[in-house]
Amino acid sequence: MNEKYDIVVIGAGFGGPIAAKKCADAGLKTLMIERSQNVGEKVISGLTIPFYGFLFGPEFIRDGNPPFERPADGIINYIIKDIEKGEIDIDDSLKVPKPFSPIIAFGYNTYCKPLCEWEAKKAIEAGVELRTSTTVVDVIKEDGYVKGIITDKGEKIRAKIVIDAEGSQGLLAIKAGVREKYPPEAISLADTYDYEMTKEDIDKIFGYSVKMCWGWDEQKIAPPLGYGNGLMVWPYRESIHFMQDQCLRTDQKSVPNLKKLFDEYHVNITSTLPWWKNEVAPRAKLRARMWEGFEIYVGLNKKLRNIHNHINGMILIGDAAGLESTELCDGVPAAWFSAEIAADVAINAIKVNNFSKSFLKKYDERINAHSIIQWSISGTNRYNLRIAQEQHSMKKLKKFIYNGWGLGSLTHFTTPLIKTILLYLRKDPKIISKWIKMYFRYFQNWLYESYDYSRKKELKIQLQNKITVKESFFLSILNWINSFVKFSSRLFKWFIHPFSNAANKFMKIALPFIKPFYLGLLKLLNPLTESLNKKLINFVDHANPLIFQEPINRRGG
Amino acid sequence: MVKTFEEIPGIEWIEGTGEFIKIEEEICIGCANCVKVCLADCFEIINNKATIKSLDKCMECGACWYVCIEGALIFNWPRGGTGYKSDWG
Ligand SMILES: Cc1cc2nc3c(=O)[nH]c(=O)nc-3n(C[C@H](O)[C@H](O)[C@H](O)COP(=O)(O)OP(=O)(O)OC[C@H]3O[C@@H](n4cnc5c(N)ncnc54)[C@H](O)[C@@H]3O)c2cc1C
Repeated sequence: MNEKYDIVVIGAGFGGPIAAKKCADAGLKTLMIERSQNVGEKVISGLTIPFYGFLFGPEFIRDGNPPFERPADGIINYIIKDIEKGEIDIDDSLKVPKPFSPIIAFGYNTYCKPLCEWEAKKAIEAGVELRTSTTVVDVIKEDGYVKGIITDKGEKIRAKIVIDAEGSQGLLAIKAGVREKYPPEAISLADTYDYEMTKEDIDKIFGYSVKMCWGWDEQKIAPPLGYGNGLMVWPYRESIHFMQDQCLRTDQKSVPNLKKLFDEYHVNITSTLPWWKNEVAPRAKLRARMWEGFEIYVGLNKKLRNIHNHINGMILIGDAAGLESTELCDGVPAAWFSAEIAADVAINAIKVNNFSKSFLKKYDERINAHSIIQWSISGTNRYNLRIAQEQHSMKKLKKFIYNGWGLGSLTHFTTPLIKTILLYLRKDPKIISKWIKMYFRYFQNWLYESYDYSRKKELKIQLQNKITVKESFFLSILNWINSFVKFSSRLFKWFIHPFSNAANKFMKIALPFIKPFYLGLLKLLNPLTESLNKKLINFVDHANPLIFQEPINRRGG
Repeated sequence: MVKTFEEIPGIEWIEGTGEFIKIEEEICIGCANCVKVCLADCFEIINNKATIKSLDKCMECGACWYVCIEGALIFNWPRGGTGYKSDWG
């Protein structure tokens, strides 16, 4: 007999469990199917999940204790002019300044498996049924509708709506006739190395920053500019991830010999780049090597960007829908956002018993209206690096790097950021204090290795309901912020909202003037901000965790 | 049975995948794109046709499938619970 569900979710990577949990929270009978033995074992990624994923993503993540490996406070770009002579310029302008860093983080570095497992556990707690070691091999199609899926064991499982979170290859999306296979120029193959290192060494060499290296093509230390990236290093708690990636086709014709090239780049960069050779190499021990393709340039191709993401009875989310970013190569936030939107639309579709393409179109409309998703899939700085290479222009190279992974990103990110913040403020006037609590709680979790499953270190205080003067002062600040937001909501509506549309343009004009002033001020205030920073970290270290907790709104967002 | 390989540390391969990648000989033009992008050394060219050497170290990235412009390479997922796995992705 055929099994029947309201919703079947394909894939328990980053996006699948979010969609599944939301559907189960709404009372729908939901099944999530994963082809790996254990959740997350087949997900390969960088990985820094940027702050906007946590701010604007699922409430249960924002208000919870997800496992991660290290907060990231920004990016340090190494621009390699002459590797033999050791001439390297640095752009580290995109960093959260002291005293806030690393408590207020640019993102959180994490391994895929623990985070996907954590998400899946939350989904199961909400009532989702999870089936692992099961590959979905096809969809059931009847009367022009997707009406369920078929597994490799031959089971036919019926569902009112199938949410496809299978990742970038999209084999089922293609089989179901939703979209086509991505062309090779849209895909970059990422060759990733995982090295073990002591925490002390990582603290000293990397701190909280993600490092990126950029070099000319002829130096052969990195994949070609615009078609790949040289070296990205993510620091974790007691390990680092090194990644180099290159597009599967760099022009309309040739497919590079990646097997040969990756080995060449890796040997060259790790044996010539001074900080790697002298500082990292003697302290790092290779633990794992793996690779995966990522759909870095799907968003850049207009035709691909408009590929279908739904048909009668089926919705694609995350990588399956082509939502990975074209610059930071992040896809987790978009997987989370699209998962929530898909679940919302599916819940409504089931309410009115309409699973047609014309009803599910609401999903596409909301994806198109999502300013962070649209910003992230259309950035061109990474792709434009090839222009710098063609013209061999150091000025252009630095400009694109600054605009993509430096402070210049404010010239294209400020508008979507302000717009989204305003949207969230309108929905929940207490959101800012929730965000602040999130940052502080996450940082305390990092200090104590304290996640939902475990606390590895003893807290420096006795856990009790009593709160110190400092702690109650912290809570008062949050209350003041809440009152201020309530009081000034009209101000936001009248002044900041109209300004948000022009914010990018404003930053383009003003940033060249603001930047030297800002950097100068940071230098000048350095002694003060350093000592404030220490005090802030000390406060978090000794604080009662209760003050950073946020009751979770069970009704969902 | 689980396999490991010294040259690719940190990954385990669970046996029983089935033939998840296939090459249709009549369509293959022997361009060797699959050979060039496969970091697991799964393919070789014999008599001007791509042939599967071994899928033992395949990381299921699909690079071979993306670059097969002729559409000669058929790519499916291995059977559930088989193929590569890693704690370090
Ligand atoms: C090397 C690399 C570096 C990256 N770096 C970053 C980064 O720094 N920051 C960031 O935010 N993002 C990064 N990304 C992107 C990020 O990993 C993806 O955007 C994200 O994983 C997408 O989530 P998803 O749920 O759409 O798909 P996935 O997380 O890929 O999940 C898909 C799941 O579906 C399962 N599955 C697939 N097919 C089937 C089937 N037929 N039956 C059953 N199960 C199936 C898979 O096993 C998998 O568990 C990176 C990606 C790569 C490859």
